[in-house]
Amino acid sequence: MSSHTQHEQTGGFEPKIVAFVCNWCTYAGADLAGTSRMEYKPNVRIIKLPCTGRIDPLFIIKAFEKGADGVLVSGCHPGDCHYTTGNYHARRRWIAFKSLLEFTGIDMKRLHFSWVSASEAIKWVDLVNNITDEVKKLGPFVEYKELNER
Amino acid sequence: MNDNMENTLRQKAKELLEKGDVKVVIGYGWNKKKSHTAPVFITKPEDVEKLVFNPLCVNNLSLYLTKKFPDIKALGKPAIVAKGCDIKTIAVLISESQIKREDIVIIGMTCNGVVYRQELWKGELKPEIMPTKCHNCDVRNPHIADIIVGEKVNFTPPAEPTGMVFDKIKELDKKSGAERWNFWLEHFSRCIKCYACRQICPLCYCERCIAEKNMPQWIETSSHPRGNLAWNLKRAMDLSGRCTFCGECERVCPVNIPLNLVNQKLALVVKDAFGHKAGYDEKVHPPMIVFNMEDTEDFIK
Amino acid sequence: MANKFLKKETIGKLIDALTSEGSIFVAPKMDARQVVYAPVSRMEEIVFDYIVPRNPFKEFLFPQTEPIAVFTIAKEAVDMKGVEVNAKETVIFGSRPCDAASVASLRSVFNWDLKDEFYNRREDKAVVMSVACTKADDACFCTTVNLAPDSPAGSDILLKETESGDYVVEVITDKGKKFAERFGNIFEDVSAKKAKPAADVKRIKGIDEKKIKEWLKDTKNYENPLWAELSRKCIGCGACTFACPTCHCFDIVDEGSAFEGERIKNWDACQFEFFTLHTSGHNPRDTQYKRWRNRFMCKFNFYPNKFKSYGCVGCGRCIRVCPVRLDITEVMATISVME
Repeated sequence: MSSHTQHEQTGGFEPKIVAFVCNWCTYAGADLAGTSRMEYKPNVRIIKLPCTGRIDPLFIIKAFEKGADGVLVSGCHPGDCHYTTGNYHARRRWIAFKSLLEFTGIDMKRLHFSWVSASEAIKWVDLVNNITDEVKKLGPFVEYKELNER
Repeated sequence: MNDNMENTLRQKAKELLEKGDVKVVIGYGWNKKKSHTAPVFITKPEDVEKLVFNPLCVNNLSLYLTKKFPDIKALGKPAIVAKGCDIKTIAVLISESQIKREDIVIIGMTCNGVVYRQELWKGELKPEIMPTKCHNCDVRNPHIADIIVGEKVNFTPPAEPTGMVFDKIKELDKKSGAERWNFWLEHFSRCIKCYACRQICPLCYCERCIAEKNMPQWIETSSHPRGNLAWNLKRAMDLSGRCTFCGECERVCPVNIPLNLVNQKLALVVKDAFGHKAGYDEKVHPPMIVFNMEDTEDFIK
Repeated sequence: MANKFLKKETIGKLIDALTSEGSIFVAPKMDARQVVYAPVSRMEEIVFDYIVPRNPFKEFLFPQTEPIAVFTIAKEAVDMKGVEVNAKETVIFGSRPCDAASVASLRSVFNWDLKDEFYNRREDKAVVMSVACTKADDACFCTTVNLAPDSPAGSDILLKETESGDYVVEVITDKGKKFAERFGNIFEDVSAKKAKPAADVKRIKGIDEKKIKEWLKDTKNYENPLWAELSRKCIGCGACTFACPTCHCFDIVDEGSAFEGERIKNWDACQFEFFTLHTSGHNPRDTQYKRWRNRFMCKFNFYPNKFKSYGCVGCGRCIRVCPVRLDITEVMATISVME
């Protein structure tokens, strides 16, 4: 089958990636990848929301708190939002939130944003694979996990 | 100069109260030992002698105009003694529909700066004891007011923000991610979750703060680094584009967490990305509730 | 026990002896531009010139955040285990007499209907070595609540500074006696040394505690409009509560996931808006003046009557830390002249 998944899940560190996706575009795109029987890295846990505009930065913080090594946030392309303007508001928030987390010292290679439409199954697959590889290289999010011991 | 200002202020306050449509004047007054100023609420014309104005008047009184204080709202139409920085907060409150411009009387005070902490006052307002916001202030002459008390101040702030807060932000920006993380964890670990920062902030007026919500508990109330980090990040994020740098949160923090750094960093980001500076025009929407089709996407895959 | 003598330079030896046995030595040290009680490992970390540290030392007897139980959730069963407190000997050096007096208040509330082992085990292992105050600032008011800058109440050992910077040692309790004997090589037998005079903290004029007690006891004063006037500027943070040596209210929360977690005891403040929120949605103390009234009543009426201990020790921390400088002594003075 696909070279990505075979024999790479044995041993070693497997990152936990949490993906906050919008129902109408990205989730449908991921679904299309599934129905098309595309294989990709299983590290991602998908959380479906009606729109990226629903995403409160607190969700991302909570994901890291609960053990995520990487977070992906993905929604409809600008202009295609099912609720017309949700993703524009989300984009604004991400600009501010990304800077805030960077200022706090969180590696931005652990937090990714993307636009994936309902037909972009291939983009979804490549995105998840690339992010998983990148976060795997970074290792577990030790800094956050250490907070439990301080 | 100051005595003149105090006399004019008391005169104006007396007139407003005697005329009858202002029911309370929110201003500053001395404590018993005359070592600190604190908020006072004058409801009777004969009490206006309690009002003072000097570099010790650090509090941002616009706090008492918010819905956090139903007891004060119940007193009736307020007049508020406000410095330029306080008026900026009032402007944001008006733009967020928390107060109507015609429902308050703003007594704008021209200001040459205040002290960073009241304990530092030794009789003279030296630049070293003034907070960063004063060194960069462009509203020493109140920009929105019904009455202006005091002579015009001639002061041009530096073109680029300077001072301790901004220098420290530049320094942190140059450091590595790991160094920044350690810096912030060291500070946030001291947080005792007293919520003084939230209570003193006029813009933190949620009727039920997210930190008070359990089932699920989004922000842990325990005073451990994990809960403290979530609290401080969430608060900074909710203030982005709105914070006017009154500096009260840092002043009241009992454990000296440098909150100004995080709030001002976000203010700089918002200014860069959305061209917005909070508090100058009460008719402009806060940036986080609007959007621009041209907002940058360079980080989105 | 006759007075002993402690040379300042030998404090380092005391720290070494204690920490090598696994004990904790708490002393005033500088942290983020303030003096706080914190564990130290070297004498050089200790600050000797201070009025009173920003925090009370109650956090070493009653931690701000403390797990009291751990639980795991299986399919049809919840397994809960209490957390055993492994209290280590904790010497609190440089405590002030006001802070030491608060220990009795904490002990009475934590041994009232339930013996709180989390507190008791820590207090049993704590040795309070107070240093009498030779100076005060204008927020201090211990004498107004019938304490003194050199009061021995609550201390195991009371140290009084001498002109040379050393200390005259007064042993107050049995625990203190055993401690001094254990470190007989550090606590010398030289007794004829003169200590510096204690700070001159004048009682605040116009505060009549008898009047206050009576006025508070009279239930018709409960709804006096004075409460709203005096506490109008209060912003409802918890700074005063968390800085107070006698405040002891706590909240129990659970933290964890669907599979396991901890039950935690956290400090709580009656000044918080939702402190008295019922599950029905009703909040008996729904406005700030009711919450402030409760604070004052608790300190000067309820607790002194119930426990015969100090509700307030006059340390002044609440005044110093208050964002709007709400001064409890001004309230006391105002009530003293009420009819």
